[in-house]
Amino acid sequence: MGRSAAALSDGKLKRTTAASPKRPRRRRAFSRSDRFTLGVFVGVPTAIHLLLVWIPATLTIYLSFTYWTGINYSDITWAGLANYDNIFTKTPLFYDAVRNNVIWLVWFALISTPAGVLLAYQIDRQIRGHRFYQSAYYFPVVLSLAVTGIIWNFMLRSDGFINGLIGRDISNAVSFFGNYDINIYVIMVIASWRHVGYIMLLYLAGLKAVDPTLREAAAIDGATEWETFRKVVLPAMRPVNIIIVVITIIESLRAFDIIYVIYGTSAGLPILGVLVFQNIAGEGASMKGAAYAVILFVLSIGPIIAYLRQQFREDVS
Amino acid sequence: MTTDQNKVRGADVGYTLNRRELLIGAAGVAGAGALLAACGGGEVGPLTFGARTVDESPTKQLKALVAAYEAKTGNTVTYNATESNAFQNNLSQYLQGTPDDAFQWMAGYRMQFFAEQGLLVDLTDVWDKIGDQYSESYKIASTGLDGKQYFIPQSWYPWGMHFRKSMLAELGIDPDGIYNWDDFMKMLDGMKSKGLIGFAAADKGGWEAMGTFDILNARINGYQFHVDLMAGREKWTDARTAEVFKYWEMLVPYMNDNVLDLEWDGAMQLLLQKKAGAMLMGSWFGGNFKEQSDADYEDLWIIPFPEINPEHKRDTIDAPIDGFCAAKNGANNDGGKDFLAFAGDMEGVQAMLDTGVPMTSANKGQDTSTYDAFQTQQLAVMAEAKYITQFLDRDTRPDFAGPIVGPALQSWFKNPKDVNKILESLQSQWDALPPL
Repeated sequence: MGRSAAALSDGKLKRTTAASPKRPRRRRAFSRSDRFTLGVFVGVPTAIHLLLVWIPATLTIYLSFTYWTGINYSDITWAGLANYDNIFTKTPLFYDAVRNNVIWLVWFALISTPAGVLLAYQIDRQIRGHRFYQSAYYFPVVLSLAVTGIIWNFMLRSDGFINGLIGRDISNAVSFFGNYDINIYVIMVIASWRHVGYIMLLYLAGLKAVDPTLREAAAIDGATEWETFRKVVLPAMRPVNIIIVVITIIESLRAFDIIYVIYGTSAGLPILGVLVFQNIAGEGASMKGAAYAVILFVLSIGPIIAYLRQQFREDVS
Repeated sequence: MTTDQNKVRGADVGYTLNRRELLIGAAGVAGAGALLAACGGGEVGPLTFGARTVDESPTKQLKALVAAYEAKTGNTVTYNATESNAFQNNLSQYLQGTPDDAFQWMAGYRMQFFAEQGLLVDLTDVWDKIGDQYSESYKIASTGLDGKQYFIPQSWYPWGMHFRKSMLAELGIDPDGIYNWDDFMKMLDGMKSKGLIGFAAADKGGWEAMGTFDILNARINGYQFHVDLMAGREKWTDARTAEVFKYWEMLVPYMNDNVLDLEWDGAMQLLLQKKAGAMLMGSWFGGNFKEQSDADYEDLWIIPFPEINPEHKRDTIDAPIDGFCAAKNGANNDGGKDFLAFAGDMEGVQAMLDTGVPMTSANKGQDTSTYDAFQTQQLAVMAEAKYITQFLDRDTRPDFAGPIVGPALQSWFKNPKDVNKILESLQSQWDALPPL
């Protein structure tokens, strides 16, 4: 019996090899149970993904062209472009929000992200106390954005810690959150507190993977520190760089948590994420919120596609 | 209520509370309550109750109500508390999901909207049982657009100018002498010259300033204009609306600098800590003063907002009614109704009053002779008004009040000179609202 089984499998093997000498693996037919297993492993996540991501997303896009209070399906009425027209031509808050999101993006791109990269580079060079810096800067990343917001709210509100420290009470407090000329920058400092550590960590992981002999070779050729970084390290880090750029863009666009914790749904600091929520949540939801969500989606999709392509390329290689 | 009024949108129904009926109600005796004390109870099984607050005083009150109900009927009640803003933001989803059987909510448009959507339990038979403990005006405020009742009132409070009596005494100000705008401005000047904030204000939450808009509009342009504006029958671009902001701007120099950095309780702290001399607010915060100390509570005083236009005297007031509803999607509708019958009955009201947390109940059974000085004054403030409104965010469409008026008033605080631009934008955003 053992022999016949061996012979059988032998023959099968031969047949397969004979049929496709070049790429034997690809052409191998899956058995029924393999197909079932694969079907389950691919099918279930796909179904869940469709159910939880694509169906709601598609419905949101549909709803953005309707009027609806969010309760009875029979009340949905077609509105055409009315919600978008309303947002683009009649809602000054939308432009305030776009302005704030743009400031957020520019700040992250020009200040927070470079700062994170610089820190990562310094820590990678093992400057004195680098372990301490690494932990200190990484610490905020452990906290969720909501917790970050709560902490800084305690620090900066009118009856908060900082105002207490500089001897001001609630009647003459420095208005960190209520001064609409500066509050976006206050928020940027708070958001950066976390973002810098996040970028630092990602970049540090990338730097550790750069072959040290590259640097040594550059040093032997007489390159300065800056030249080494710019011409040797940076190009070697290309995949990480792209991820960092994309993360910076996405984090700026999807900003919500910190603002919501500090301002609630009031428009103290309008950003797109809050406008979506403000119009959808609460009583008498309006599909203007869905339209805001679609606008945000369109703005985010570019960076997301770039991000995913990079991810897949890495997975393949 | 005339048929003509019936035709207008739901937002108006809450307004028909009229002064005389409310006073008769509040001043009535407890007789009716005693007769009906037997109602409520029965075998309805365990139920859940959703509180729209996590604050100390109201929680104490509601827990006492729940305990009294449990002791009386033997039905267990699960008490779920949610912070009020979070509760409001989530209400649509909450009512469509698995809500508590009974929950805390507000009268007027905000109740009617959800009743229209079929998410609230019809409480008409509860009103049949306990209705005669309430004046007609409360019944009207509890009635949906279909003529059925969906709401059990708990308490009311007036919006007015709040002071600390001790501070007024020190400043030599007689609150009864502040009748009109000139008196008021003189008082503010006096406070400012003493280094005090005259008019404590807050608007970080986006709703606080609506109270100031309401009362200024009612004083300058009268009740009818205000109601019509809320319902969209008058325009925000009307010169009369702009006039409101002219007066409001006169108040700005007397306000704290951090209006947009404070929520309502920040403004309250200014008064509590004697940094500010006066504050426009609803009297609900008495409980917060009492948490501080009895002396602080007893120091509180309220007068109506001053007269501006002699034609309208001081005839209108924001006096919102808070209370309870039962959720249709709750697991135990009968339980919810049974609990609300108890909550609305004098027996339940008494359980809340016995906690010592100040409350001006909607129930006739709360003898006004048991009112403390501050509550008696609240009643007097109400008595002067002929028309009662709820509050801007309860009197106009919810998709207009929160997302549109709130931010507009905040941007006005940032730059009062922008008033015309802001009003034009408000009107065009009203015009762009989806048809109801």
